[in-house]
Amino acid sequence: MADTGSYLYAVTRRAVDADLSGSRGLRDEPLRVVQHAGLAAVVSTVGLEEFGEEGLAIHLEDLAWLEEVARAHDAVVSATAALGPTAPLRLATICLNDDAVRERLDLLHVPLKRALDRVEGRREWSVKAFAPLPMAAEVPLDSHLPAEGSLGAGAAYLMRRKAEQAQRERAGEVAANLADELHAALSAPAAASRRLTPQDPRLSGLVGTMILNGAYLVDEADGSAFVEEAQRLSMTHPDARLDIRGPWPPYSFVTLAEP
Amino acid sequence: VTVAELATQPTSSPSQISLVDLLDRLLGTGVVLAGDITISLAGVDLVQVRLRALITSVRADLDRTAGTPDGETSR
Repeated sequence: MADTGSYLYAVTRRAVDADLSGSRGLRDEPLRVVQHAGLAAVVSTVGLEEFGEEGLAIHLEDLAWLEEVARAHDAVVSATAALGPTAPLRLATICLNDDAVRERLDLLHVPLKRALDRVEGRREWSVKAFAPLPMAAEVPLDSHLPAEGSLGAGAAYLMRRKAEQAQRERAGEVAANLADELHAALSAPAAASRRLTPQDPRLSGLVGTMILNGAYLVDEADGSAFVEEAQRLSMTHPDARLDIRGPWPPYSFVTLAEP
Repeated sequence: VTVAELATQPTSSPSQISLVDLLDRLLGTGVVLAGDITISLAGVDLVQVRLRALITSVRADLDRTAGTPDGETSR
């Protein structure tokens, strides 16, 4: 058994073997549930050649591999989340065997149960806001320039740089205030909220400067009300473009303190 | 789904999670259990390496499919 491990997808409260029988794990391995201390971890067997420390170091650089594993992980988490409160695990969390999984459940059962209580009956929504205004100084700065010949080229350059920097700071401040305002308004109807790091536009493929990458934990019953609130904000803030996504499993709201 | 689609196409339905959003969450958040073998992505450094690699891949793929509509050819 030295060459296999138990890959963890999610932790939930009860045995869900039968309910998960329609889903498969990574590499089409069957899912199983490891129970301990009133918790149930959804796992499947993975080969350590691929998912061991060395294998992961190589494969994680491979986008196609990463996507395949992330999608498979998400499919199992989503299937589990459809059955009850679910704490998703981080990608590529692997224990040596099921006994090691039980040890982890034992060690972490208090914070895990607290996390499950927090997300029960709730789903995650994502709202991103984009500022259409250029963050860099693109407005002509000619007016700030001294008349030709009145100053040396070096001094003129420095003045220009200073004016550009001030303008960037102003634009940044406006965007930060707008992001704060939107996040506060979206957090009000949510049970919990988090700000994730804004995404690089090359990755998101979305146009504009992302000023807010917000995650909101919302009661299932309040989902449509939350979307309406986001749409209302979108109408009242024509200076920002909002991208509303969800509902998803509560990925952003189960983080435990490092053990 | 191809890399080009990841970068150029919004997901078809609002509840379908895009790869970027998924990686945001699977790499940056989620329960952290110290595993017996490896917690590959618990360290910040490693995540940064991964995301840099991702950006490089996306760019390379975009360059390759530049001029074709929405990366259709790579499907």
